[in-house]
Amino acid sequence: MSLPEFLGRRLLQLVPTLLFILIVVFVLVRLLPGDPASAILGDRALDADVERINRELGLDRPLPVQFWAFLKSVATGNLGNSISMKIPVTQLIWERLPITMLLTFMAATIAVVVAVPLAFVAALRRDRVADSVIRGGFQVGLSMPVFYVGLILLTVFGAKLRWFPVGGYGDGFLDHLYHLFLPAVTLALSLSAILMRNLRSAIIGVVDAEYVTFARAKGLRARLILFRHVLRNALISTLALFGLSIGTLLGGAVITETVFAVPGAGRLMIDSIYGRDYPVVQGLTIALAVLVSVTFVLTDILQAWLDPRVTR
Amino acid sequence: MSHIPRRALSLPRPLLLGGAILLASTLVAAFPGAVAPYDPLAMDYVNLLAPPSAAHPFGTDNFGRDVLSRVLHAYTIDMQIALFATLFPFVFGTLVGAVVGYVGGTPEAVFGRVVDAVITFPFLVLVIAIVSVLGPGLGNMYIAIGVVGWVFYARIVAAEVKVQTRLDYADAGRAMGYTHARIVFRHLLPNAITPAVVYWMTDMALAILLGSSLGYLGLGAQPPAAEWGVQIADGKNFMATAWWISVFPGIAIVITGLGFSLLGDGLAEVLRGRR
Repeated sequence: MSLPEFLGRRLLQLVPTLLFILIVVFVLVRLLPGDPASAILGDRALDADVERINRELGLDRPLPVQFWAFLKSVATGNLGNSISMKIPVTQLIWERLPITMLLTFMAATIAVVVAVPLAFVAALRRDRVADSVIRGGFQVGLSMPVFYVGLILLTVFGAKLRWFPVGGYGDGFLDHLYHLFLPAVTLALSLSAILMRNLRSAIIGVVDAEYVTFARAKGLRARLILFRHVLRNALISTLALFGLSIGTLLGGAVITETVFAVPGAGRLMIDSIYGRDYPVVQGLTIALAVLVSVTFVLTDILQAWLDPRVTR
Repeated sequence: MSHIPRRALSLPRPLLLGGAILLASTLVAAFPGAVAPYDPLAMDYVNLLAPPSAAHPFGTDNFGRDVLSRVLHAYTIDMQIALFATLFPFVFGTLVGAVVGYVGGTPEAVFGRVVDAVITFPFLVLVIAIVSVLGPGLGNMYIAIGVVGWVFYARIVAAEVKVQTRLDYADAGRAMGYTHARIVFRHLLPNAITPAVVYWMTDMALAILLGSSLGYLGLGAQPPAAEWGVQIADGKNFMATAWWISVFPGIAIVITGLGFSLLGDGLAEVLRGRR
């Protein structure tokens, strides 16, 4: 299989996945407790008003008709209006999702910056003190819930030491980075633990591989072998893991944003679920799922580019 | 694989340590009253927000409840979460995975798309959404986790059974005229289940994290029940003045989670042979 063919196939696989996502979201949202009409009008609404609202929202039509209308509007980028905020859901998503994406991106960067060097140290000093300390430390990190880590960082570095703000998002790009630093560290912890663990065993696997022995036998310098051969191959397996972790990372962002009062998509999700704001929950779920699918495809493409065996 | 059988009876250290932690945790979960000094729900209005002392080693919370007793009683709920949230996914996912991996073809392709779609939803977001449909509480939380969680087991087992199906002994079974069910469940599955069991241990650690997260968000165990996530949420507004309310339950989560991951790692070592 050639690379373009691989890409075509991979993109084609997106279609059923996206359709399935839309069906699940459609069904789930219609199962949510309470109905939008009473959310808009309050509990003491007149029956006639409820009927009028339901007709306006198209909720009186049969489900397949509703689903078809839903598909058509999603395809044209129309996700309806927020019930509580009275503005288009797409607008809300454009406002809030970038915050979550920035947070996730910062967390991923921090995780890589922390995990890669430590993985090398652990792998090259396998079964020695440094290895045990690094692995033990990350093992503990992996067992800590996100909200707990966040709460402790918030208290120590925010409330007590006052090095960082205790929440919010700030104004201007640098201020955003400053506000998101603690949340990003919180979110990065478990990802860096998973990356470190995987990268460590990948490096060990590569170091023991025959082609590295061959390179060494050829008299190549150790550092060159490490970066040209070991790092590249170890990164391929890490990349796949990284793509798969994006969903977990976004899930973690929901909790992190709640703890740190960051006005991102995750926080909006929780607020909308409590506020029964159907269209927002629906739109956000779709947006997050699409974001994850696109990340999967991108990591697959990167992987195929780095490792020709993938397309075979 | 050329691994030399080493001292056959010496079990790996992670397994022993993890096993010891979990044995102790299970005992506390079964008999919390035997170790807890106070009633976890008893309020003591004279001792509100009391710091750790001899009478209250972990201090008291804003209702004067003994934090140590609450942490110990929470073992009952949180160990239950670890088991109940993962048991159905493990059993059901293994069965589906075995069938899909053995049959292959269209069911396998359809299953592949289902897996793709499920891993596309941020797991936590999906579970939160389902819990909010069903209503908060532990029972609904198990359902929400079960609806999604089985997919991961099925994927692991399907891949493993698929490999086993191509081996000679599977052909031998077919040549002997065994039924498909007998080949899959009596012969292939026992050889394919190891990774799923190892994942189960990790998953129990994840279930405790997830369960306490939902408790923290108010969607899991409901106050005033003693559950670690609920306790941490209870104490979050007192972090600056009475850190002990939230910090000790968190330590319990870490230790228990560590127990499960160590046991998982140790089991993997024993079952697969040390790499």
